[in-house]
Formats: sequence, structure tokens, C-alpha cells
Amino acid sequence: MDLSVMLDHLLAVGGNLLVLALMLPVASLMLAFALGGRHAERIALMTLPLGLAIAVAIAAAVLYGDAPLHTDLGGWAPPLGVALRADGLSAIMLLTTAVVMVAVGLFARADFQAPRGATETRASFAFWTLLLALWAALNAVFLGEDLFNLYVALELLTFAAIPLVCLDGRAPTLAAALRYLMFALLGSVLYLLGAALFYGAYGTLDIGQLAARIGGDDPLEPAALIAAALMTAGLAAKTALFPVHLWLPPAHAGAPAAASALLSALAVKASFFLILRIWFDVMPELLAQMAAQILAALGAAAILFGGVLALRQARLKMLIAYSTIAQLGYLFLVFPLVASPETASLAELRNAPGVWTGGVLQLVSHACAKAAMFMAAGLIAASLGHDRIQDLGGIGRALPMTLFAFGIAGLSLMGLPPSGGFMAKWLLLSAALQSGQWWWMLVILAGGLLTGAYLYRVLAPALFAQNPPPAPVKPVDRSREWVVLGLALISVLLGLVPLSAFSLIQIGRDVSGIGLP
Amino acid sequence: MTAVTLFGLCGAALVGLGLYGLIVLPGALRRIIAFNLLGSGVFLLFGVIARRGGGAIAGTGSDPVPQALIITGLVVAFAATALAVALLRRLLQETGRDDWDEAGEADR
Amino acid sequence: MNIDTLFALALATPIAALLACLWRPARERMLSLLVLAPLPALAVALAALLNPDAMPTLILDPDRRIGLMLDRPGAILLGVAALLWSAAGAYAATYLRGKPHGGRFVVFWLLTLTGSLGVFVAADLLSFYLTFALVSLAAWGLVAHDGTARARRAGVIYLLLAIVGEVLLLPAFVLLADAGPGASLAIETSVSALPDSPWLAATVALLIAGFGLKAGLAPLHVWLPVAHPAAPMPASAVLSGVIVKAGIIGLIRFLPWDAGLDGWGAALTSIGLFTALYAVAMGVLQSNPKTVLAYSTASQMGLVAAILGMGLAIGDREAVTAGTVYAAHHLLAKGALFLAVGVIAATDRRRLWPVLVPAAILALGFAGLPPTGGYLAKLAAKPVLGSEVVGLLAGLAAVGSTLLMIHFLRRVAAGASPASGAQAAAGLVWPWRLLFLAALLLPWMLAPVAGIRPWAALTDWYAIWSGLWPVLAGGVLALALQRWGERLPRVPEGDLLGLFKDAPQWANAVGERLERTETRLRQWPVAGVLLLVLTLLLWTVVLTMS
Repeated sequence: MDLSVMLDHLLAVGGNLLVLALMLPVASLMLAFALGGRHAERIALMTLPLGLAIAVAIAAAVLYGDAPLHTDLGGWAPPLGVALRADGLSAIMLLTTAVVMVAVGLFARADFQAPRGATETRASFAFWTLLLALWAALNAVFLGEDLFNLYVALELLTFAAIPLVCLDGRAPTLAAALRYLMFALLGSVLYLLGAALFYGAYGTLDIGQLAARIGGDDPLEPAALIAAALMTAGLAAKTALFPVHLWLPPAHAGAPAAASALLSALAVKASFFLILRIWFDVMPELLAQMAAQILAALGAAAILFGGVLALRQARLKMLIAYSTIAQLGYLFLVFPLVASPETASLAELRNAPGVWTGGVLQLVSHACAKAAMFMAAGLIAASLGHDRIQDLGGIGRALPMTLFAFGIAGLSLMGLPPSGGFMAKWLLLSAALQSGQWWWMLVILAGGLLTGAYLYRVLAPALFAQNPPPAPVKPVDRSREWVVLGLALISVLLGLVPLSAFSLIQIGRDVSGIGLP
Repeated sequence: MTAVTLFGLCGAALVGLGLYGLIVLPGALRRIIAFNLLGSGVFLLFGVIARRGGGAIAGTGSDPVPQALIITGLVVAFAATALAVALLRRLLQETGRDDWDEAGEADR
Repeated sequence: MNIDTLFALALATPIAALLACLWRPARERMLSLLVLAPLPALAVALAALLNPDAMPTLILDPDRRIGLMLDRPGAILLGVAALLWSAAGAYAATYLRGKPHGGRFVVFWLLTLTGSLGVFVAADLLSFYLTFALVSLAAWGLVAHDGTARARRAGVIYLLLAIVGEVLLLPAFVLLADAGPGASLAIETSVSALPDSPWLAATVALLIAGFGLKAGLAPLHVWLPVAHPAAPMPASAVLSGVIVKAGIIGLIRFLPWDAGLDGWGAALTSIGLFTALYAVAMGVLQSNPKTVLAYSTASQMGLVAAILGMGLAIGDREAVTAGTVYAAHHLLAKGALFLAVGVIAATDRRRLWPVLVPAAILALGFAGLPPTGGYLAKLAAKPVLGSEVVGLLAGLAAVGSTLLMIHFLRRVAAGASPASGAQAAAGLVWPWRLLFLAALLLPWMLAPVAGIRPWAALTDWYAIWSGLWPVLAGGVLALALQRWGERLPRVPEGDLLGLFKDAPQWANAVGERLERTETRLRQWPVAGVLLLVLTLLLWTVVLTMS
């Protein structure tokens, strides 16, 4: 069949694709739950390619139709009904989620295979069902248009992530999971309170309607201000923005590698995505400019603080966890660069396509790179039986491919060319320059220096240790190394994609064209 | 003082108490209960908003949307509490400690 | 073969060799093939120099003007760099045969080679940044190769400063991209638009700092005397010969030559002359011959910077040609001398003359001894430097170079093999001899480029005297150094680094403080209160605006 005919068909299906994206992981989850045992793994693995295909289809439909996809569930229009919507940004988030899910799923097979003979193990059954649940929750966050629905999606996300943290059932991981759960709940309550205030002020929870009413001629309701502040703070707690990141390091400490990858690459991005939507899709621009300064200041602090702390960790996994805190900081620099008086006044910078591209590139390349790093660290830990950085000497000889994958993922984090991280930082730097906020450039550069330093701590002894390489306790499965390498390569190759390909981001952001650096 | 104001103040007080308990009080169980208090406060505020009207469906005495939201929210909060208590029970079995504070955590 | 195809091959060959290294048997044989990897680059440079009207270009992305190109300074430096890479590769095949970690060495060698050739041909900001980062960072693998405590320390210092260099250059490139018109990222268009940029001062300062660091300009030269001696001999040769030239080509490509920035030109000249003299002073206090050579590199690059600075001040492109010729001679001669150090170390100290005499000729070439290639380089620089204060100081630097080089010859002779009848392997001797001849003769081939007639230069007694007196004066000083040198203090490699002796402790103290903060932030009530504070903060801020 001709490609354009196929795309026309895709557009005709349109909004139903969004329902499908939600239903597929939920249906698989139900099925896996009902059938249990070894079926859970099989069902999850079969869902992976289907989910990826749906995400690709949604992205293709948005790109081809040059308009967001939209559907009212059950035919009920908001404010009574609930709408789903996928603009370019959502489509990219869905796609990233699907890619990381597929990689983590393939990687986790070896860890969570029910042993031959046994019908099921608790950890294996839990992992595969939770993977599907997490996926469903993420898709719900990226597609939701209704603030309360988004609250439910966020809670589902938390409920799916918590057990993943404590799959091994040891006391420290249980404490970490409980801590994560309670802090996330505190964040959700603040979010819910904000949603209630929005409803009280405007009588709708639909983001589109809310934006229309707030943007109308009436003066802004005072409740909307506190609502936005409450929601942002609640979401920041779930994103582990400095200084409310207390749950993140302990949660990663004992989690399985696959779970850490999902948590760091995807789970924290969902709440970040909602902060973006609140300030850029709901609130008026002038207010966003003020909030942006605070968010970016915290992001800058996160970059520096997380970098230094990563430098001082004794365990590889904790180093990567603190690196996540630092890298999330970069995302918050997007706010003042998009919403600055300069950008607002200059026609060619209107809606700052370069910043959007930079921010999204940072998000996507960090997701791929960080998932790859956590999985590489998992392979190293599985092979050596520990992940103490000072005893990793000579690992480059024992696990060359794993270390290579770790290294090139690090390349992207550090922002060295030609990686996606480089392109992201380049775009953010030039946006900082063009909007006259050069001080953010200093933060971005200092962050790169710190990233280089903590990667050096891992890579240098791994490559140049004098002592003979440690004999791996267990050999590593080659196919798992390929998965890690593939994901790391994606994060690097993103930098080679021509920027015009990212015009997808702009669809639904009412912007034409894309800024080139 | 109208019913709306009274219930609004009650909701606000519950939220305040809940926040205080969740953040300041020691002990996991106390904090979980405080979270429930906090949640109840928010739901009460939703109820107040419904009673006040002027929401999705104008003209009726009470707005059905927040009521639907309260019910959903209760279910979610119940699930969250159940998960927290289950985790806490396991933690108690393993360590005998009723808190998740960091002393002795092996993350570094 | 079409020259553009050959041009593509110049970079494709080392990349292909790298990819082949993924296969273990290929990796194990690659050491003996290193000599071949730079040859296409050598060929394309020769072809471009012989036919300057058909400089090759390869544009990959016409919108942003991303691609590769070659111009005359680029072609000269590319050619001599490829020659040194090839000779050093041949040398490495013998020098490292049978030693451990050969595969790792080969991978880092090829990565560095790719980046090093790339900086001479990159036509746009992104390609240049990519290749520059590649050559800077991959060379770390060569510096730290030995794995000893000394090599590891050298690796840390090298990498730290290399990354500082990257961090200085990245904003400079962003500023340049912003200055340039439209979407074009071509270096040429961005640089020609630079004089009108409101960020001119910041850009030029960042460029000089970033490229000066790579070229070894004081006070950012400190990595040179630490890193160059730590590397294996062939790697030292390319580090000191080629890799510092990445900084020189950066200055050549990125400074706006036609703008006549007299303030910046004077600054660059001053930094250069200060480096030229300061590095000599530090160098004569060293005892390791490789360290002495590294200081000499810093001193010579100081002179190149001084030449370029003079041109920058008056908007004169002749200075670029003179600087290029000077750098090309230094590249070959310094590479050759590093190889000689290894040859001498393996030669019986009683039969040293066949190596030591040619080494002495090359070494004194840095001071301008006629009729070496160095003499020609000095002649090319002379009109740019003038005969006033700058010219005088440059002459003084040449005296210093003589002193430093005689010191080097004494130190290297002292390191010769005590075993009677010891002889360096042929695989070490031949690359050295080849480079010796190249350093002696090739600069004369560049004479027409620099506007010098060789015969006239060799018969002009005044010019010959001007090349000779610094050598004689330096010789006298060297006698004095030999007599009283013992009384001079010893300075550690990397002189100014001594000031940062306590830096690890400071960093540790900061880190500990932050760790304590982190422990506090991770307490439940603290985080909870902070969350509420964040809410209030956001609320107040938006409240004040609405």
C-alpha cells in the first residue's frame, strides 16, 4: 500500500489511536493478571512491539496531519466528559516511553524470567505486570487533558513505581519505597488541592477550556495563582527537583537496574511534563515569566549540587542517581528561556522553537542515555557482585561492550558532540544568549564540567587500572549488552538528526517553522 | 456564617492539621493517618465547591462533577493508604521499626 | 582520483581503521598499520598545495553549510601533521611491540588522529568543535597510557584542562553562530560577521583563552610539561608536534584577521612573548629531556602567538602565512626530537654522535640556525615581528631557545644507554631519520608561500648573521649555565601547578560541606517544609506580578 494512503487511513482512525494507546497496556495488564505465571512475561513482551507501533502511528498521524489528535472519551465533551489529546510534544513523549520500555523489557528478561520448572516467582510476576501498569500510567499522563484525570494517572504512576523500588523486599528498600510513596502522596495532594481550586474558580478541569477562560477578558481569579503554585510544587516533589529530591537517591539504591532505568528515564519526566503544561498551556505568559525564574534557579542549583554529590558517591548506582538530579535541572532551564520578556517581544523568537527543541532533545537524550547507564551499571553489578567505584579497575577489559555503552551514554550526558545532549545544550546556550540571559550559560557550562568529572571517576580506572581486571563472577549475556548499547547509541545519534525533523514538537504549540541554531 | 464558609474553614483546618502531622510528627503510622486527614480536607473543599455551585452545570443547586471526583479521589486515597500500610507492615516485620527515616540506610 | 574523493578518504581512512578495531584480530594487527592511516591526508594536502586553485571542499548540509574544506594554512599544516602522524605511527609499531594494552593504545591513537586531521579541514563550527573535542579528549588515552601513578596524574591534569578548554570554546562558538547570518554555521561567514557582534570582546577573549590553552600559552601551558613527558615516546611526539597545533589552527581560523583589532592583537602578542621567555626560564630548571622539550614547545608556540598577534593588530593576513610556516617547521622538528629521545635512550652512549649531531642541528633550528628549516621560519616571521621592541624580544627568545636546546642536548645525552654496543632498533631509527630530513628540508619548499627566495636567503650575509647571533649568544649563556647551573633551584614539572597543590583539599572541604547539606535536606521534616516553602514562594512571586 502506498505510504500516503496508509497515512490517510491513520488520520481517519485519529483519536481512536489515543484510546488504543491507553487501552493496550491496561488490557495486557488485566490479561497478565488473570493468566498469571509465565504468561505475564510473555504477554508483556508481546505488548512491547504493539505499544511501540501505536506510539509510532500516533507520531506519524500528528506529523502528517500537522495537527494534534483529539478525542472525547465516550462522546462526552468537557467539562462533563474527559478528553484525550496528543500534540507534537505528547507524541514525542509517547514515543520515548515506548522506546525505553522496549529496551528495558528486553534487558529485564534475564533478571525476571520465571525459573524453568517453577510456574512463577513473585518478583517476576510483579515486575512484568508493574511494567505494563507503569506504561499505562505514563501514556495517561501524556495524553490527558483533564486535570483530575491527570491526578489519577499520576497516582497510578506512583503506585506502579513504588513496588518496583522494593522488589527484593529487603528492609532498606522497603523504607525507601515507603518514603518515596509518602512524599509522592504529599505532592499529589498539593496537586489535587490546586485542581480543586481551579475547578472552583473556573468550573472546568479541561486544560483547553481552562486556558481559554484564563486567557479571556476577565481578570485572573486569585485562586488560580495559588492553584498553579500548589500544583507546581506538588509536581516538583514528584520530579525530584532540588531541594525536594529526598526520595530519589534511596529509591535508586536498592532498586533493580531495570526499575531504576524506568524511574529515572521516564517516571520523573511525567511530572515534569505536567509542569510544562501548567505554565505554558494554562497560565498566562506574564506569570510564567516570574515562576520561570524560580524554577530555573532551582534547576541551576540542582545541576551544581547534583553534580558535586555525584562526584562524591562511592557506588556507581548512586553516582548515576545523583546525575539524574543534576540532569533534571537542565530541563527546568527551559522555563525562563521560553518565557522571557525578550522572547515575548521578538517576533522571530516567538514561542522560541529553538528552546523547545533543545529542551525536548535534552529530555529524550537523557531518557535514553540514563536508562542505558543504569542498565550498564546493572550488568557490571551483576557480573562483579558489587558496584563500588573504587573497585571497578580494569572492568574495561572484562566487559568492554558494557563499558563502551556506558561511555557513549556519558558522552551524551556531558554534552559532547555529536550526541543529542550536545545539540540540546547548544540550543539552550544559544537561546540563553539570544534572550539576553547569559548567566544560565555559565550554569550549563559548569554542569558539563562536573559531568565530565564524575564520568572520569568511573571511566579512568576502568580503562587504565594497573591491577589485573577483576574476574567476573558471572559472565554477562551478550544480547543484554546489545540492548544497552542500542539505547546509548540512540541518545548519541539524536544529535545527528537534522533539527527540522523536530518540527513535530511545534505541532499544537501554535508556532510555525523551526528555529535553527 | 453560611454552610459554605463553615465547611470551607473545616476543610482548610483539616488540610492544615494533615500537613502538620505528615511533615512534623514522628512515626510512619501517624504520618499515614495524617495523610488521610489531609486528603479528607481536600475532599471536603471539593464538596464545598460543589455546594457553592457555578461549576460545570449552572443552575442546579449542587454540581455533580466534584462529587464524582470525590468518590474517585476516595478510592485512590484508600488504595494509597492500603499500599502504604502494606509496606509498613513488611517493614515492621523486617526491622521492627515504625519509620522510614534514613538512619542505617545502606545507600552509600 | 578526484581530489574531493581523496579528501573524503583523508578522514574516512582513520575512521575505517577505528571501526575495524571492533574486530579483535584486526585490532591486534592494527599497530603495524598505523603508518598507513594518515597517508590519504598527506596526499590530499600535497595535491591541494600543488594546485592551489582547486582546493577541495565537501559540503554535507548546504543549509547550515556543514562540511569540510581546505585552504592554504590548513593544507600546509594538514600535510606536515599527516607526515608526523605516519612517521610516529611507524615508530610506535616498534616501540610498543609486545607491550601490554596495545589494542587500547591503537584505539586512542586512531581517535586522536581522526580529530587531529579533522581540525585542519573542518569548515563549520559544529565539525570543528567535534574534531577539536575528539583530538583533545582522546589524547588523554595516550597521556595516561602507561598506567603508572605519574601517567595517571598527568592524565587527570591533562583532561581537566582539556575540558576547561572545551568549556571556554563552547560559548565562544555559540556566540559566533549567533553573530553569523541566517542558519549558516560556516566558520568563514561567522568570523567575518564577528567584528559587528555586540559580543566581540567576550568572543575573542574566549577564543584566545580556549585555543591558547591548547597551544600552551602561559599561564594555561601547565598541562604541557606534565602530559608530554608522561606519554609513550611516539605519543609525546604527536602531542607536542601536532596536537598543540589544534590551538594554532583554531586561532588562525577563528580570529577576524581583517578587522584590525589592535588591542586584542597587542594582548595576544604580549601573552605570546611572555610565554616564549617564561617557558625558557622554566625549561632550563628541568632535568627530564622530554620535559625540557615540552617547555620548548610552549616557548615556540608563544612565538607563533606573538606573530599572529602582530597580524591581528594591523589586520594583516601575511602574519597568518608566517605563523603557519613557523608552526609547520616546529611540528616536524619537535616531533623528530621526541623520536630522537627514544633512539638515544636505546643507543650506546659512546656511539651517540650519529644521532646527537642531527638532533643538535634540529634543536638549534628553533633558534634560527642557518641553513636549517628553522632559519627559514625565522626569516618568514621577521617582517611581521619588525625590528622594534617585539622584534628584540623575539630575538631574546631565540637566545633563550638556544640555551634551552643545549640544555636539552646535555640532558638527553646523559640518558643514553650505558650498555656497550647497544643499538636502537631499525624501526625506531628510520622514522627519526625521515623526520629529520623533512624538518630540515620541507620548510624550504614552503619558501615561495612565505615570499622568500631560498638562494637569496642563503647568500644574504646580513640575514645569516641575524640567524646566527642568537645561537652564538645562547651558546655563551649555555656555558654559564653549565658552570653555575647547579645553584639554580629546581622547579616541578608544570611550575604554576604548584600553586594548586592544596586544591584537592579545598574541593574536598566544599564537597564535605555539600554532603552535610544533603544529609540535612534528606531529612523528612526538612524536605516537607521546603516543599511548602516552594509553594509559598511560587505563589508570592506570581501574586506580585498579577
